[in-house]
Amino acid sequence: MEKEKNGFAFYAHIYKKILIQDLKSKMSYRADFIISTIGMLFTNVAGFITFWLIFQNFPQISGWTYHEMLFLYGFSMLALTPVQCFFDNNWNLSRAIHSGDFIKYCFRPINLFFYYMSEVFDIKGLGQFAFGIGTLAYSWNKLGLPLSFRNIAGLIIGVLSASLFMIALMNFASALHFWIVGATSVMILIFKFKDYARYPITIFNKFFQFVFSFIIPIGFMTYYPSLFILHQERISILTYLTPVFGIVFVYLSYLFWMKGARQYSGTGS
Amino acid sequence: MTRVKKYLSLVRGSILEGLVFRTSLIVSIIGNLLYLIIIYFLWKAIFDSSPTDVVNGMTFYDTMIYLVLASAMFQFMDTFVVWAIGRDYQSGQIVEYLVKPMDYQAYIFFAGIGNSIVAFFITFLPTFIIIYFVTHGSIVLGMNLVFFAISLICSIVVNFCVDFFVGTICLYTQSIWGVNIMKEIVVGLLSGATVPLAFFPEKFRMVVDFLPFQAIYHSPLRILTDQKMTGADYADVLGMQLLWIVVTLLISKLFWKKSVRKMMVNGG
Amino acid sequence: MEPIIQMSHIDKTFKVLKRREGIKGSILDLFSREHTLLQAVNDVSLDIMPGEMVGYLGPNGAGKSTTIKMMTGVLEPTKGDILVNGRVPYENRTKNAQDIGVVFGQRTQLWWALPVIESFKILKDIYRIPDRVYKDNLEYYDELVGAGQLYHKAVREMSLGQRTLCDILAAFLHNPKVVFMDEPTIGLDVSMKSKIRTLVSNLNQSKGTTVILTTHDMGDVDALCKRIVIIDKGTVIYDNEIEHLRKYFGAYRTVKFKFKANRKDTKGMVAHEADEIRALLAYKFPEAETLQVTQEEQWVQLLINEEEARMMDVIHSVMEQKEIVDMNLQEISTEKVIQKIYEGGVL
Repeated sequence: MEKEKNGFAFYAHIYKKILIQDLKSKMSYRADFIISTIGMLFTNVAGFITFWLIFQNFPQISGWTYHEMLFLYGFSMLALTPVQCFFDNNWNLSRAIHSGDFIKYCFRPINLFFYYMSEVFDIKGLGQFAFGIGTLAYSWNKLGLPLSFRNIAGLIIGVLSASLFMIALMNFASALHFWIVGATSVMILIFKFKDYARYPITIFNKFFQFVFSFIIPIGFMTYYPSLFILHQERISILTYLTPVFGIVFVYLSYLFWMKGARQYSGTGS
Repeated sequence: MTRVKKYLSLVRGSILEGLVFRTSLIVSIIGNLLYLIIIYFLWKAIFDSSPTDVVNGMTFYDTMIYLVLASAMFQFMDTFVVWAIGRDYQSGQIVEYLVKPMDYQAYIFFAGIGNSIVAFFITFLPTFIIIYFVTHGSIVLGMNLVFFAISLICSIVVNFCVDFFVGTICLYTQSIWGVNIMKEIVVGLLSGATVPLAFFPEKFRMVVDFLPFQAIYHSPLRILTDQKMTGADYADVLGMQLLWIVVTLLISKLFWKKSVRKMMVNGG
Repeated sequence: MEPIIQMSHIDKTFKVLKRREGIKGSILDLFSREHTLLQAVNDVSLDIMPGEMVGYLGPNGAGKSTTIKMMTGVLEPTKGDILVNGRVPYENRTKNAQDIGVVFGQRTQLWWALPVIESFKILKDIYRIPDRVYKDNLEYYDELVGAGQLYHKAVREMSLGQRTLCDILAAFLHNPKVVFMDEPTIGLDVSMKSKIRTLVSNLNQSKGTTVILTTHDMGDVDALCKRIVIIDKGTVIYDNEIEHLRKYFGAYRTVKFKFKANRKDTKGMVAHEADEIRALLAYKFPEAETLQVTQEEQWVQLLINEEEARMMDVIHSVMEQKEIVDMNLQEISTEKVIQKIYEGGVL
């Protein structure tokens, strides 16, 4: 046991440990915990109502039916769960840096990025996950999509790869705190992308389709990966590239974050 | 006179503060632009798919003007009142304010108003001018602008009172984030800021009409986009807003008084 | 014996962005950036032996924390060689971290909302502390400072002193070879300070841990360290036994008084009181030539050289004469000592 190297098992074990402690901490502020959870539930319900309000006036939007749009919506909720659950500590980075508390993360014998992110598990994301599953199951059923191995596997891989884009973007945005003041506004801006991800990218003109694929990768957060199940005839090369791009993107964001952390811990006292 | 002066210096301070954070400013302008692009294409697709040009009495341009100006309004409506009260309470600083010869509610209001003024000139006004030209003059420039200005001021006051009421809730809950997000969502949805109230189904609409939230976004935006309004209609909308100012101001003041007394008794 | 920390001719230079003023300036900054070089550490050489307790002193911005960051592997030196536990720290940050502990007086590294024991359990896993060692340490801590009764208390409910105590225990939990302490007694009352000092001294002796202590409180250094290293403007200006310095801080004590006011308090009143006290002490302690009485805002301040007059006697005399409302015994700050070193020409 003790001879274990810095391998995956070790990190998984540490993560679990810290996660449990974090949950215990949150429970100790019970009122806050309950209200925040309800608040998060509110955001999901409200998003849903907005969606419904628009669609009860219009049966379809540029060729996309109500249930297809619902499918995209459910997919996007699932794809946004990981960033909410596992990377929420990005939001506290500004405080950690300005108070100087960030330095304490630098003295532990484990990976800095890992240690920092492991400190918060945002359980509110699970509500979103449940909502996403429900929405997806409902629209899946209404659309009469086959429950085949291909589709299930495609869904899991698709959701996981799609989730990487928001994770990467948030890492990039929060890492800006290491260099500039006021980076929180950048985080807020980028966090809003999640609301835009749920629309099919075909509603935009050619220019913005390009922008939202390759400059601001909103298209990868839902549209491209979900085509694999929803519209097989429209699958593009980008659908298959989603996992590859996602992994590269997250890795780059990790490097950027670590570079920021290193140069910050050197200067800030 | 000195009374006015001390509030004025508060306003000046917060204007300066608002100008200092230039990064945030640039980023929020980019953010608004992006939002604009997204809703433009989304609603364009929606209207293109509709058999008629007018849906629920609104054309595509009306809807755009409505939504874009709603998001620009959000910039100066959001003065983080709930956070301010919640933090003052949690840090215990609230006691210091209570012993100062200043009304706390007025203090919070004027401390935030400077930011609103900055946001008005930096985001709302440019957005308004751009949207005026982009929609080829779909906004009628006339007497309605005067009514709009009056209505906007009323909106700010109602919005502030709602915020202050919700902020007071933080004296009981220890949760700022949770309380604030709920408020943002309820206000955003029921005030017509995210989807114009015209698109709401009949029954839903009836409920919303009896709530103060539509006096925040819907009222001024309706004045600006609805070209068929008569003098009586203006009077009706503004009268309703005034009524809501009285009601929300009264309720928030009462709730605050009661809460402070309770806090004093229980000792924070 | 091999030194546990070896630094030879270490330089550290920072590039600092020169910011221009005003809106125009910050727009220019976006396009062209000018940097100035800041030499934070200049040719520092230092050998520290295993088990040593070294007081590492210097004014703010002298390069203390930069040096410590280089020793902990957070920062890479611009020039020079550094070895800690036989390793180059910045090349092996995580490995190096396994063998060191860090304590910050003001900020806790424990989980705020949790009982201490939970934090210890996480640290046990992070540092892979064997069960045996972990258990022994907990028992030893309990024996040493009665830590057992704190284990189940949440950190946020603790006093600053209790928290500092637990932070120190946490830093020693994995039996590190070197522990860095930054202002461990800041903000604590006298009895807690002495408790912390005893604890650190015991841990150092029983575990043979090397301790590097940075502080502004000469009392900490006096109680714990045999050796003192003083750094100023990036250069080591003193590295020797504390004994040689004792004459600069050992005998001096500062004490402040506030007296009961007969009438509405005014500045003139305090000045008047100071004069009274000066006359009184000159009469009672004629041999105390360096004794100083000054006015510090609302306070009357006394600087006493204990070799000339015992502090307790002086306080006693004052008490007989005047009614004291408040009294304050001040620590001798390292800044004062450094200032005296410059003045006294030790260098």
